[in-house]
Amino acid sequence: MRERKPQAEKYLQSKRSNHMKARLILFSVLVTGLLLTAVFAHWLCPYDPNQQNLDMALQAPSLDHLLGTDRFGRDMLSRVIMGSRTSILSALVLVGIISVAGSMAGVVCGCCGKAADTVIMGIADICLAFPGLVLALAVAAVLGGGVHNAVLALAAVSWPKYARLARSQTLAVKHSDYMAAAQLAGDTRRQLIFRHILPNIAGQILVTAMLDVGTMMMEIAALSFLGLGAKAPTAEWGSMMSEGRSMLQTYPWVVLTPGIGIFLAVALFNLLGDAVRDYLDPKTIQREQEETVE
Amino acid sequence: MEPLLEVKNVTKIFDLRGKIKITAADAVSFRLYPHETLGIVGESGSGKTTVAKVITGLVPVSSGAIFLDGKEITRLKGRERRGVYGEMQMVFQSPAASFDPRRTLGDGIGESLRNRGMSRRESKKIAAALLRQCGLPGEYVSRYPHEVSGGQCQRAAIARALAIRPKLLICDEATSALDVTVQKQILELLRDLKGRYGMAYLFICHDLALVQSFCDRVLVMDGGRIVEEGPPDEVISNPQGKAARRLVEAASYFMN
Repeated sequence: MRERKPQAEKYLQSKRSNHMKARLILFSVLVTGLLLTAVFAHWLCPYDPNQQNLDMALQAPSLDHLLGTDRFGRDMLSRVIMGSRTSILSALVLVGIISVAGSMAGVVCGCCGKAADTVIMGIADICLAFPGLVLALAVAAVLGGGVHNAVLALAAVSWPKYARLARSQTLAVKHSDYMAAAQLAGDTRRQLIFRHILPNIAGQILVTAMLDVGTMMMEIAALSFLGLGAKAPTAEWGSMMSEGRSMLQTYPWVVLTPGIGIFLAVALFNLLGDAVRDYLDPKTIQREQEETVE
Repeated sequence: MEPLLEVKNVTKIFDLRGKIKITAADAVSFRLYPHETLGIVGESGSGKTTVAKVITGLVPVSSGAIFLDGKEITRLKGRERRGVYGEMQMVFQSPAASFDPRRTLGDGIGESLRNRGMSRRESKKIAAALLRQCGLPGEYVSRYPHEVSGGQCQRAAIARALAIRPKLLICDEATSALDVTVQKQILELLRDLKGRYGMAYLFICHDLALVQSFCDRVLVMDGGRIVEEGPPDEVISNPQGKAARRLVEAASYFMN
């Protein structure tokens, strides 16, 4: 790398971090808005999302019903808002489960001997060998419909990704000098895991989890679309699209509004995940600096 | 005099996927007496670091025995192994990598003290005192490893090793990653600390000149075996084996 004056470097660094911070704050605020909408959905709905009114069926968007109504005369805006709760919160719960359980499995694999490693990674490989959504379909079919079961089914097929990530990260950390130094300082195995391994692998896992929220939201919507997720009359974006799919040409708002909901939520979560990754990754700092200089 | 550390016929074979076997240490035996500085020299891959790792128990031995203060420590585990670390500490080759990047230097230095029941506040105070002893300002306890230079970080690593007052300090290429002037400062620090605490050093190194000025006795390793042993002046002025001669020739090449 060519030499730079420290001042110039400082300036570049602050410029970079300002830009990154701005991006991080912007997407955090937007995602927080989305989450607040999901949490307080029942207060934000202008109408009862399950209230049928057949006289008002399939109305185009108007001032009364900003996003129109579906074929039972239910207000689409209320249903999309209410659907955000099911879709977003279930995706968050799902990612929470798989990232925590998967990482725990991975850390155990990396730290606790060959037997545990072989068994857990064997199970993980079996889970990975199935095409994800198909296995989820099978699990959901066995367990029956409902959002809970859809979440369980997807959890069963998506935890290995975290187990593998956590395992490889753990192995990398485990062979570092500072782990040897910690051992020499008299750390027990548990102290090694909680003081040194987990803090050093948490960043990677967090970023992967953030980027996964969007994917999982789509998968839940896909299961619901196929009739294995949310059950009527629960408002859920995937099942709402499924119900309206025959009306795409005649009454497009019935399909498009929940579709736009999915699109926006997935995009926002992915953009936030990207921003977090860039912010946490020291390598992007270097690269951006070099690009700016050269 | 009773030896502080006795290594008897220690062999370490690395088994690479059950096919290739590498004998990194082959029937290594030596004694280290209290207050002595014993150097181990040899080319890269001659097994010096393996010997250090085997002694500290970071790598299990294949065969042989290791005694510390007359007590066998070869295959200790758990609590007993942690007890041994109160007597023996190590300074690593690459200073920055030997500190957890997410924890401050003070955390790293005080870790052994906290593990022995000291409060966080008190251990921080002692860490600051240790840093001052090693020639760094006490405020460095709250710095992170990437915020200090290599030489400073190695001083902190020495402070960490000193925290529990070991009888034996193993320096595994502790000065190799540093430039010459800093090397000199670190050696002076080690010499000074030795005078103060009377520790024994096992000083692993590939630089003969450095060993000559610092060690009381030197072992030459080649291909996992100890091939020569004696006072450094003798080994350098009158090398017997091929390995020692190669090292002396290489060192004198740079002198002239």
